[in-house]
Amino acid sequence: MTTVGSERGTEVAGDVPVTVELDGVTKRYGETAAVDDVSLRVREGEFFTLVGPSGCGKTTTLRLIAGFEEPTRGTVRFGGESMAGVPPEDRDVGVVFQSYALFPHMTVGENVAYGLNFAEPPGGMTRDERVAELLELVDLPDAADREPESLSGGQQQRIAMARALAPGPDVLLLDEPMSALDARLRERLRAQVKEIQSELGITTIYVTHDQEEALAVSDRVAVMNDGTPEQVAAPRTVYREPATRFVAAFVGDNNVFAGEVIDAPAAGELAVDVDGGDATLRVGVGDGRDVDSPSVGDRISFCVRPENLRVAGADGNSGDDAAPAGENALSATVASAEFLGETTRVTLDWENRDLVVRVVDPIDGAVAVGFDPEDAHVIEVKNR
Amino acid sequence: MTGVDGGRATGDDDRATEDGGRADRLTRLREGVESHALTALALLTSAALVVAFYYPTATVLVEAVVVDGAVTLRVFADVLTDPFYFGELARLLSGESPAAVARSLLSPDRRLGIVGFTAYQAALSTVASVALGLPAAYLLARFEFPGRRTLRSLTIVPFVLPSIMVAVGFVATFGENGTLNAALTALGLPPVDLLFTLEAVVIAHAFYNAPLVARVTTAAWESVDASAVETARSLGAGPVRAFVDVVAPQVYPAVLTGAALTFVFTFGTFPIVLALGGFELATVEVFVYRLVRDLSYAEAAALAIVELVISLSVLLAYLRYEARSSTNTRGARPLPRRSLIPPAPTLRELLPRAGLAAYVAVAGVIFVAPIASMILASVTGGDGALTLDHYRFLIERQQTGAAFQVRPWPAIRNSLAFAAAATLLALPMGVVVAVLTTRRYRGRTLVDAAAMAPLAVSGIIVGLGLLRGLVFGVEVAGWRIAANGAVAIVVAHAVSGYPFVVRTVSPGLSGLDRSLVESARALGASRARVIRDVELPLVWPAVVAGAAFAFAISIGEFTSTVVLATGADAYTMPVAIERFIGRRLGPATAMGVVLLVVTGLSFVVIERLGGDHRGL
Repeated sequence: MTTVGSERGTEVAGDVPVTVELDGVTKRYGETAAVDDVSLRVREGEFFTLVGPSGCGKTTTLRLIAGFEEPTRGTVRFGGESMAGVPPEDRDVGVVFQSYALFPHMTVGENVAYGLNFAEPPGGMTRDERVAELLELVDLPDAADREPESLSGGQQQRIAMARALAPGPDVLLLDEPMSALDARLRERLRAQVKEIQSELGITTIYVTHDQEEALAVSDRVAVMNDGTPEQVAAPRTVYREPATRFVAAFVGDNNVFAGEVIDAPAAGELAVDVDGGDATLRVGVGDGRDVDSPSVGDRISFCVRPENLRVAGADGNSGDDAAPAGENALSATVASAEFLGETTRVTLDWENRDLVVRVVDPIDGAVAVGFDPEDAHVIEVKNR
Repeated sequence: MTGVDGGRATGDDDRATEDGGRADRLTRLREGVESHALTALALLTSAALVVAFYYPTATVLVEAVVVDGAVTLRVFADVLTDPFYFGELARLLSGESPAAVARSLLSPDRRLGIVGFTAYQAALSTVASVALGLPAAYLLARFEFPGRRTLRSLTIVPFVLPSIMVAVGFVATFGENGTLNAALTALGLPPVDLLFTLEAVVIAHAFYNAPLVARVTTAAWESVDASAVETARSLGAGPVRAFVDVVAPQVYPAVLTGAALTFVFTFGTFPIVLALGGFELATVEVFVYRLVRDLSYAEAAALAIVELVISLSVLLAYLRYEARSSTNTRGARPLPRRSLIPPAPTLRELLPRAGLAAYVAVAGVIFVAPIASMILASVTGGDGALTLDHYRFLIERQQTGAAFQVRPWPAIRNSLAFAAAATLLALPMGVVVAVLTTRRYRGRTLVDAAAMAPLAVSGIIVGLGLLRGLVFGVEVAGWRIAANGAVAIVVAHAVSGYPFVVRTVSPGLSGLDRSLVESARALGASRARVIRDVELPLVWPAVVAGAAFAFAISIGEFTSTVVLATGADAYTMPVAIERFIGRRLGPATAMGVVLLVVTGLSFVVIERLGGDHRGL
């Protein structure tokens, strides 16, 4: 039985059995590789999310796991066994699509019972009992005799979930299941999906382009770009310690800087001459877990989250509560602002570059902005 | 998930109980059969096509290149360089200078040859069909009026009407004593004789194919998203400009589809030209028939190959185009329909409606007159008075006819039996081919074309091949395989009917959401099981429509039947009509009315059995 070793950027490692494993999987369509040499290990009972922009290969990866596509190279394994040549119907997966894909010529109950034509209901239940149990689980106990078309989008999605779960699959695969729903419903439904998942303890692989959704529900997230995962880690790690510039920019708002290390004034602190701006910034390397320790003369990139940028009016009196730290003070002007309710997302112009900050009280005109060196996170180091 | 037993991760280990071993093996066996069912069906269909179409056709066509056991291109060369077939172009092929040929082609007394004339009349017929079909599409797609849906479903009728019956209707309308001349005489105008003219043939072809053009165009027009037009309008385009820029490009592929099919159908035309044109206006197919009758098989085969190459190139070009330009606009909001009653008496509202009124008058003459004239002629005696003599003749012939004479009841019985049997054969073949051609893989267009080839191959050649291959028998490994004429006719009808099953079923299949199939498979259903449980139930109306098509094609099939119905026992209604028409029009029209009634009733039955049908 395979176990998970420690992976880069993974907080938790241990002897948890692996359910689904991708080993050097590549899928080519003609000249382009939709999925490029991907190796992933999904643990039993885990809620694992593939997130990335459209065209990053996340859906193809899911389809390779489901068996709708065969890899050009590499192996997909379930419980250590190669799935090469095994058709989808023999893989024991449950799949939920964005389009719901309920069979329109069957009632809701017939839809949920369809998979039970090919597998005995788990736990010695009758078909009817199993269908009733799943309709109960998705909170639509009286829907069995209804036509799929008479249900709302969110209800159809829950039935699709019940149908996928009915035969008791080993793995639940969800392909952008919320994308066709409105924002509020999406939030409610994703909480419900998460709840069902933890109740059943079923290994779940979830595909979404919505990084916020990915952070909200997952045990671990794989951020994909150009057919490869750039980082596989817990949501918190992905957010706080992005492994690449792509991850830093894709997951949440971020301010990414690049520059050259010109000095190491104190232990765990660097002075960086930032490209494109006449400024030297102090950057903490206190966490230091994920990158090689940079030294003077190296080129590095680092990021600072908007909520860690502190703003004060140019005179230092108005604006946010705390004044910017003296060392990392930058002079910028407000370019635009989006009122989001709780906070306002403000784009600042600093030496013809955009900086994003979040503030509570409105600001305008020239402002001073800064951050604590320990709030900066070093992404990449290029040794001289 | 344990995965420790070394078996496949099917989860069977969770379900298996102590005594479940045998049941498990049975399940595995069933699953094994199911997972290979599609391959088996595909092989079976291919085998059926080889036996019923490719092999017999090949045995005839091969005669074009094999003379006295030796391979030669002489027959081909003779046909290609004979001005009788290729007109002035034959001189080009026999090595004359292109400039001289071009000069002759531009001169008024140019010779087209049989092939040239066939292409010419097909082109004329295509233009006429498009001209007659487009206004109907405009009416059906853009206006709302009582009976619109009925009219829309009626557009399928001319296409499936037996061609020989249409020919009888045209004779009854445009013949010397036809209703047209009766009307002209009543108005004090000189009579015209349109029979045996190119005009009559072209109008008859338009009768047949204009509804097809109208049908495919209407479908495309209805799928134009109203918001696309509204976007164009909001960007500053006027109504005409928006039509030209947004609607026309989306409708145009459908018009091309209709035109391409019309060209192929009219290029291979046979019964209509035989009945309305005679040998003076002989097309390739008519001439192939004549050569076969004169036992000049090699020349007939060479000519049929020329015909096949031309039809197949058009068909292949069309299929390639279709594959390239097919877009799924499902779920679009259609353009709103307008009322036929003008909302305001302005020129812009009145003009299109006045045009449509004129069109309806012309279309009424072309579509209704032949049928009405046939019915009228069937109850009109030689003196012009109403009479049931022609029907009495049919009954008398049935009671007292000699064994060698064509009697009505066997014709009706044969037609119905052949059609039922041909439908039962064509339906599974068509569904299997539709399933195979809607999946994506390399060379699909080729498979599509191979499966559609019966549309392009001369019915005469198919009939002849079946006659010599099946009826006269073939020796396979010492066994003599032979079938009687009836079986051969059923096979020929199934072959000519199944492409229509494919054409009605595959749009439905390719329009299905792929994730429906994938969901079913992830839930444990094999590929074949998904077809049974999900795909077929969802396209059922199209399957029924396909069955109706196959049935109607069989009922009306004339070309290969006339070759195969050599015995006195295997003739069908269309063959009976053709034999009657040679002598007197009256009994032929009466038989035509019987055919019309039988075909109409069959359609009602099929529709009742299968619910509403849409599709091509």
